[in-house]
Amino acid sequence: MTQASQSARPSFVIVQVGERRFALPAAIVAELAPPVRLHSFPHDTPGILGVIVRRGHIVPVYDAASALGVRPSSAQRFYLVTRRRVGTASEFGAIAVNGDCELAEGELQPAAADRPSCVAGTLQLGEEQLDVFDLDLLMASGSAAESSGSAEAHA
Amino acid sequence: MTSVSQRASFAKASSNAPPRPARQRETVVLFMVANQMFAIAADAVQEIRSTDSLAGSAMEIDQIEVGKVRHTIERARRRYFVVNAGMHFGLPVTRPTLVLILRNLRVAVLIDRIERMAEISSVYPLPLAFAGDERRWYRGLAKVDDLIVPVVQPGGFLADEEFRTLDLALEAAKSLAEPLEGAAPA
Repeated sequence: MTQASQSARPSFVIVQVGERRFALPAAIVAELAPPVRLHSFPHDTPGILGVIVRRGHIVPVYDAASALGVRPSSAQRFYLVTRRRVGTASEFGAIAVNGDCELAEGELQPAAADRPSCVAGTLQLGEEQLDVFDLDLLMASGSAAESSGSAEAHA
Repeated sequence: MTSVSQRASFAKASSNAPPRPARQRETVVLFMVANQMFAIAADAVQEIRSTDSLAGSAMEIDQIEVGKVRHTIERARRRYFVVNAGMHFGLPVTRPTLVLILRNLRVAVLIDRIERMAEISSVYPLPLAFAGDERRWYRGLAKVDDLIVPVVQPGGFLADEEFRTLDLALEAAKSLAEPLEGAAPA
C-alpha cells in the first residue's frame, strides 16, 4: 500500500433522490447514465422498477426512493449505475437520480438507530449530514420500505 | 468537491463482459396481455385460436386452489388446462380474445392479442436481482427493436404441484359425472 493510499479518505458520490441528498461509496459507482428508457415487465421482486440497457448490459433499476422513504421526483431521469454483490456473484444495478452528482471525501459515521435499514452510516459535509446508503441493504429492505411508505401515504 | 459526470470508470468496469446470451437466432411470437408485451418461442406454440372458436370444447373446472385456471379445452383428444396469462403475471384483468395452445405441455394460455412474429438473436439471462417467481416465468430477456421483452418459459405457466391439484380436480369431476351417465332416466 502506498503512502498516498494510506492517507486517502473514503470517497463518496453525493446524489439527490427525491427531495433529499444521499451518499454512496464512490468505489461501487460505475457511471452516471443519461436518461434512457426504463423497461418494465411483470415480476414479484420487491424494490425493482425495471431494467435499463447500458453498454450491452441489462441493468436492474432499484426503487431507491421507496426504500429511503422519500417521494420520487419527476426530475429523476438519470441513472447512477453501481456494481453490487448478489450472493457470490456481482452485477450492475442502478438507481434513478436527478443528474446532479458530486464527489466528496469524509469519514463514515455510524447511522442513527432511527434511519432506514438500508442506511449504512452518515457523512458530515460541512453543516450537512447525509445518509450513506448501501445498495445491498437497500435491496434487502425494499419490501419493508414499500409497505411502510404506503402506510405513510395513507396516514 | 468535484462534479461527477459520465464517469469513465464504467468502461473499465464493463471490461468484464456482460453475461453472454445464448447466441442462436430464434423466431418468437410477440403477444400482449394488459398492454404488456411478452415473447414466446414460436416452436413452443402448437396452435393459436380465438376464444370464441373454442367455446364448444371448453369445460369449466371446479377448483379454487389454482385461481388462474378456470377451464380446460380438448384438442385432438388431449385435455389442456387454460391459464389466464393476466392472472399468472399479476396484471390487471382484461378480456382475452386468443388462446395459445402450447406444444408438448397440457397448457393453453389466454392472451389479449398477438402483436407479430419476430426474430431474436439472443436471450439475455434475467439479472440476479430478480429473485421472485419471475425466475420461473421467464427464460430471460430479449431485445426486440428498441424494447426489452421478457421471453416466457412455457413450462413456467403451471408448476408440478399445480398440475397435480388440477388433475385431482379433473378426476373428481369425472367421478361425479360417471354415475349420472349410467343412470336411467326418471
